[in-house]
Amino acid sequence: MKQLHLATLAATAAASGFAFATQYLTVEQAQRVMFPDATQFKDTHLQLSPEQMRQVEKLSGLPARSVNWRVFAAYHGDALLGHVVLDDVIGKFELISYAVALNPDASIKQVEILTYRESHGFEIKNPAWRKQFVGKTAQSGLAVGEGIANISGATLSCTHVTDGVRRIAAIAQVMLKK
Amino acid sequence: MKRRAQPWLGTFVEIAIADALGDDILISCFNCAFSAIAEVHRLMSFHDAASDVSRINRASAGETVEVHPHTYEVLQAALSVTRESGGIFDVVCAVRLVEWGCLPSPEGSMPNYSLRHNALTLEDECMVRKSRALWIDLGGIAKGYAVDLAVAELKRCGVQSACVNAGGDLRVFGDTSFPVLIRDPRSPCEAGLQLQLQNEALASSGNYFSIGRYGSALVNGHDGQPCTGEFSVSVCASTCMLADALTKVVAASRDPQHPALAHFGAAAFII
Repeated sequence: MKQLHLATLAATAAASGFAFATQYLTVEQAQRVMFPDATQFKDTHLQLSPEQMRQVEKLSGLPARSVNWRVFAAYHGDALLGHVVLDDVIGKFELISYAVALNPDASIKQVEILTYRESHGFEIKNPAWRKQFVGKTAQSGLAVGEGIANISGATLSCTHVTDGVRRIAAIAQVMLKK
Repeated sequence: MKRRAQPWLGTFVEIAIADALGDDILISCFNCAFSAIAEVHRLMSFHDAASDVSRINRASAGETVEVHPHTYEVLQAALSVTRESGGIFDVVCAVRLVEWGCLPSPEGSMPNYSLRHNALTLEDECMVRKSRALWIDLGGIAKGYAVDLAVAELKRCGVQSACVNAGGDLRVFGDTSFPVLIRDPRSPCEAGLQLQLQNEALASSGNYFSIGRYGSALVNGHDGQPCTGEFSVSVCASTCMLADALTKVVAASRDPQHPALAHFGAAAFII
């Protein structure tokens, strides 16, 4: 029979009043992770016409905004390796930034979460919560004791992100496919 | 500590590696581990029509379906937990989850839900036999298995200490002791408990983020009813697959000393 460390449990029942935040990758790190062979990333401005917006909605079943898409084209020398598209999800519980890497044929190569934060509304309302982050870089995420905590609990759905990935795949199909 | 996260298995899978490794080696370790997770997603997704799970669900009564060894291993474990829990844990519960709006309805007519637990038989060489029409869902066990596979991949890559967390089903290995927060089931954006884990697996289940008619995606295979309520169950075990599956046994029985736990060398608590 496995023994749980119940003494530890009882002693450290955590004080309520904080949220969870982690930075996994910066944009530059994500670019390198997703296209390790790239020698250059070019900032690409993407603006969808009304017709392109309709096409994206038809392909993905989701509406798409026309502007504010952050897209980088990855090159090895002159050869296009693909694209990295950045996006954010603002859900009921979470604020998530993520990056989608696309192959030149518009198929999805990889999806990486850049930052993940829960209960972003709570943060603003609760000065005590903010105080514990003073002096901590975004890189270190939420620190509990000496380490960085993992969370165990029921699943927070990734539906918002998978919807977002589907929308980006459609945008790639309409605008980036070579 | 280096961390990465990707969306898989309907949730966020986070991997934290404690070893001090160079960037290139780290990237390849993360990629190997996430590939293992992706493979489980591909094989065991209820949503993907090409998965082993969907192929089993589409098969007719009396038909035999060949599945990947990974799927076979999960089904073996699932059936043994079904046996040891007197049918409380049952992967043949997808009809209920579709009825409750927790899962989308696959193509084809919906089978009848049954409380008998003998309709799925495992034969030799990864063959699965259905004795009647049924839908399975591995959502209560596959995340744990994916974590175990990712841990095996990290070890194969030479990683000494890491944590793999698939939406709250997690496993840690090596000398590092990892702090883990358990969500407060009555206020899930806050921590209810903190504990330290070393060389073990922990899975938690609760209803606080669940959708659907009853606000619960936990089916009690004993009576076919949802395990509703503002509580959460955590199980500590040697593998994350067992921990994951056993949370459902404890959630349905509300018994943190259920005999199935001792049988599998696991321990549980409810908060």
